[in-house]
Amino acid sequence: MELGLGHFIGLASLLFGIGAVGFLVRRNLLIQLMSIELMLNAVNLTLIAINRWMPGNHAGQVFAFFNIAIAAAGAAVGLAIVISVFRLKKSVQSDSVDLLKH
Amino acid sequence: MDLAFGWDFGRALIWIVLLPLFGALVNGISGRWASRSLVRAIAVGSVAGSFLLALACFVKLVMLSGHGEGAEGTNKIVNVVYDWFSVRVGDAVIPVRVALLMDHLSGVMTLVVTGIGLLIHLYASSYMEDDPSYARFFTYLNLFTASMLILVLASNMPLMFVGWEGVGLCSYLLIGFWWENPTYAAAGKKAFIVNRIGDFGVLIGMLLLVGTTMSFEFSDINANATSLLIPLRLDQTHSIAWLTTATAACLFLFLGCSGKSAQLPLYVWLPDAMAGPTPVSALIHAATMVTAGIYLVARLSNVFLQSPTAMAVIAIVGASTALFAASIALVQNQMKKILAYSTVSQLGFMFAGVGVGAFGGGFFHVFTHAFFKACLFLGAGSVMHAVHAHGDADLRELGGMKKFMPVTRWTFLLSCFAIAGFPLTSGFFSKDDILLGAAYMGTGPWAAYPSWVGWVVFAMLAIAAFMTAFYMFRLYILAFEGEFRGGPKHGDGHDAHGDDAHAHAHADPHESPWAMTLPLVVLAFGAVTVGFLGLPHWLGLPNVWEHWLEPSLAALPVTEGAHVSLAIGGTAMGVGTLAGLGGIGLAYLWYIKENGTTPARIAASVPRLHALLMDKWRVDEFYGAALLRPMAWLARFAANFDKLLVDGLIAKATSSLTLLGGWVVTRAQTGVVYTYSAFMVVGLAGVAWWYLVPHTGLEYAVRGTQVKLQAAAGLGYEYRFDVNSDGEFETEWSTERTIEGSYEPKDFVGGAIVVATMRPGTREREQLLEGGHVLAFAAADLGPEWQAVAPPAANAPPGTPGTSDDTLPGMSWSLPVRDIFLPYAPRGGEAHSATLEQAHGLLERIVGGESAIDIARARATNDEQRTKVGLVANEDGVDGHVKLADGTEVTFEAGAHTALVETSRGVHVVALDPGELALRPNGARVRVRGADVTQETHLRPGEIAQVGNALVRAAAVVRGTVEVRNAFGYTVRESVDVVVRPDRPADEPAPNAVRGAQ
Repeated sequence: MELGLGHFIGLASLLFGIGAVGFLVRRNLLIQLMSIELMLNAVNLTLIAINRWMPGNHAGQVFAFFNIAIAAAGAAVGLAIVISVFRLKKSVQSDSVDLLKH
Repeated sequence: MDLAFGWDFGRALIWIVLLPLFGALVNGISGRWASRSLVRAIAVGSVAGSFLLALACFVKLVMLSGHGEGAEGTNKIVNVVYDWFSVRVGDAVIPVRVALLMDHLSGVMTLVVTGIGLLIHLYASSYMEDDPSYARFFTYLNLFTASMLILVLASNMPLMFVGWEGVGLCSYLLIGFWWENPTYAAAGKKAFIVNRIGDFGVLIGMLLLVGTTMSFEFSDINANATSLLIPLRLDQTHSIAWLTTATAACLFLFLGCSGKSAQLPLYVWLPDAMAGPTPVSALIHAATMVTAGIYLVARLSNVFLQSPTAMAVIAIVGASTALFAASIALVQNQMKKILAYSTVSQLGFMFAGVGVGAFGGGFFHVFTHAFFKACLFLGAGSVMHAVHAHGDADLRELGGMKKFMPVTRWTFLLSCFAIAGFPLTSGFFSKDDILLGAAYMGTGPWAAYPSWVGWVVFAMLAIAAFMTAFYMFRLYILAFEGEFRGGPKHGDGHDAHGDDAHAHAHADPHESPWAMTLPLVVLAFGAVTVGFLGLPHWLGLPNVWEHWLEPSLAALPVTEGAHVSLAIGGTAMGVGTLAGLGGIGLAYLWYIKENGTTPARIAASVPRLHALLMDKWRVDEFYGAALLRPMAWLARFAANFDKLLVDGLIAKATSSLTLLGGWVVTRAQTGVVYTYSAFMVVGLAGVAWWYLVPHTGLEYAVRGTQVKLQAAAGLGYEYRFDVNSDGEFETEWSTERTIEGSYEPKDFVGGAIVVATMRPGTREREQLLEGGHVLAFAAADLGPEWQAVAPPAANAPPGTPGTSDDTLPGMSWSLPVRDIFLPYAPRGGEAHSATLEQAHGLLERIVGGESAIDIARARATNDEQRTKVGLVANEDGVDGHVKLADGTEVTFEAGAHTALVETSRGVHVVALDPGELALRPNGARVRVRGADVTQETHLRPGEIAQVGNALVRAAAVVRGTVEVRNAFGYTVRESVDVVVRPDRPADEPAPNAVRGAQ
């Protein structure tokens, strides 16, 4: 069986779905952060796969690198927030945090 | 204008007004930082300049009227400053200019205002020396002078009203000058509010005059006064038969006058107005402002002559006021209060004078009264200054002032003689003029005027004159004769504004400084001498006053042969003299000889009457109970209504609704992350739906016989079209989203009509039925106005109109023509108005008085071309001509009906088809039933018929449909109705000029 673009897209969709559902149903902030990373990586996979079939000037690959860099920065910020939340609430459950309301 | 002194007097008048106004501005803005002497120089200097200028203009006026008496333009100086605004009444445009007029009447009044104003400014500059608000006082006083001069010099009613309101404002400001004292502030407020009632009357009266005479100018109103002798109109159709416009206008104006000039029943503010500084009482509330009412009556004398009823009312109200106020003054103990009631009483004399037709006499009393009453007030102020009394001086604490202040005493005494009417003083002559006028009216020289009024007024005035002499000399004797009774005891609340009084409260009274005594001397001199201007004419003596005012005042319409006989003149003068001397004598007897024992005994014997008089007949209390309390109740009710219903219920209800909405939305703001992520998912679902379901977005364009349809573009969309209304798609599925197609007559699903005028040079109007857009309709949609006829029977032979396949069903009608020709109309210069007038006249004959022109104009204003219609029709048997602005003459034939239409391109004469022109009273519909119209006309699409002066084209409606399908297989469908024009070739995209019927 030849691996086609469809397979890559399908895998990426699956990863994205797992990430999205994980983000929605889990209450642990660390797990939610990981879900976000998963979704980002699904997008990266899409970009790289499409770049392979439509190389052009390899904008897809370049874009994926940017994504990785930004995801790293995002993860750093997210972890810092998780740590502050833990210090404040002694918990990393996202539904224990509703400070945005005020 | 002739330049006697080398300058244009026509332009000098405005400076008489502007000088005090500038004084007020300068002192008002910078006076607070300026020194007192600078403030004084500006205030007194500006009025002095104004006086000199007024004097120069007056001299010029005297010189002008010296030669060529009665000739045009010789008895007035006019100064048109600028055009102010204009008022549209019906067809007429009435301009209102800022124009000043100095004629014989306003000239005298201007001199009084500036001259006596100057003296009082001078007096006040010393009297108010120690007041902390020196500059503010002179700002108000200068502003008052300017306003009063506007009132006097205005040549039209709106400008006069500006001055009228201006003096009212200044009066309010100056009465409440010492506003720290709540009583004084309340007095100012009272004056202002009572005057509002009167000002309302002035406005109504003014509008009544203008509505009938069609001019704001005093001269025009006086000249057209007889046009006021029509029943008072309430609206277009109703009028009051027993009340002429003249009477109504005069009575409303008199309501205003009785407010401003303190007559019954609105006099109550004037006694309270004495709360203001004494120079204010002298200038505003004795010499000038309060005489504005008499001035207005004299100004409009010819109008008042049109209504003997109103004049009789004025005379009786005036005489009653004179008597009523004099009775109160008899027993009062406050100097200024007595003078205030005396002023009310003397104003009553003046109104009685003008009310019996003695305009010159009444106004003469204004003139003389200005001198002696100003002198009396200033004298009272001088006394108060001497004993450091503030607010008012109580007679029981005075006495013997003559040895402390000889100048004040002598001037006061002379003025007392003048007001009492002692022979040969000014008051003697002016009061005699009024009494003579009343007695003369009693002999019935003017048939329309009830002669009994004359005698009643005469008797009342004679008694009032007696009282006047008595209470004035009572005042004089109690204040100046006898022994000094120690002056006011201080610290009793009179000194609310806290000025100089305390420093030397126990020093002996002293004469006032020269700046105060000089005006007293000048005024006293005038009080004694100015009477000689008006020597009694019936004794053969020259009456300079009456002669001078002759051009400005209307003459009584006396019957043939009526004149003032020696007997009448002698009676009036004898009674007047007796009343004056008797009053003086009685005061002398009771207060000098008997030292006040008799009055005290009388007061003790009728305690209730005395108390009533002391309480001023308790009118204020009556007003309080009858008017103020209900008003206060109403105000409280309204306040509670507002608080409970508006604020409590309505405001609360709406605010709680908003709160509820806010509450609902804030429920979504949990602050918890997964709530927000859930909303994100919902949003994403919406976007997904948009892409899954296709959208048509059908648009169309018509170009001649071609119809172009275009659907919205979309990812993976496919389209198929139906352009011929048959419900079946002509094209297969394709990605082409545009189709252009032609139609067949059998494709029609309905009809449409396009109307255009037939006149060469006018543009075809693509529509206009029902609101200016193309109206598509099916047979069933024809409203009653279109009078649809039933579609032809199905079994009619082929070829019969309306039966073949390609004929629109139900295309027959009778057409309302109004939408065809009314959007056009005449415009232009003078010839235009003549045209409209004639048109109006002609139309009236046809439609029986209904104003079709107005109907046409009202409709024409909706036209975007900003043209107007002039509709001219011609009745059977009348030939008419109308001359147009460009000189061409249009002839109307008997029996033809013609619309005269002028657009921006020129004039068109549009002949309506011979037939019936029916203008209905409601004016909404003009319908021509010509041969072409009532005939049942059946048109095929593209055919043209002439209806009236319009072309009617039949168009058709086809239905275009598109179906769109996207990659997921979803399908949607949309249809649109398109009006097509078979008559218009494809290469002619826009509507254009009509090329005539085909």
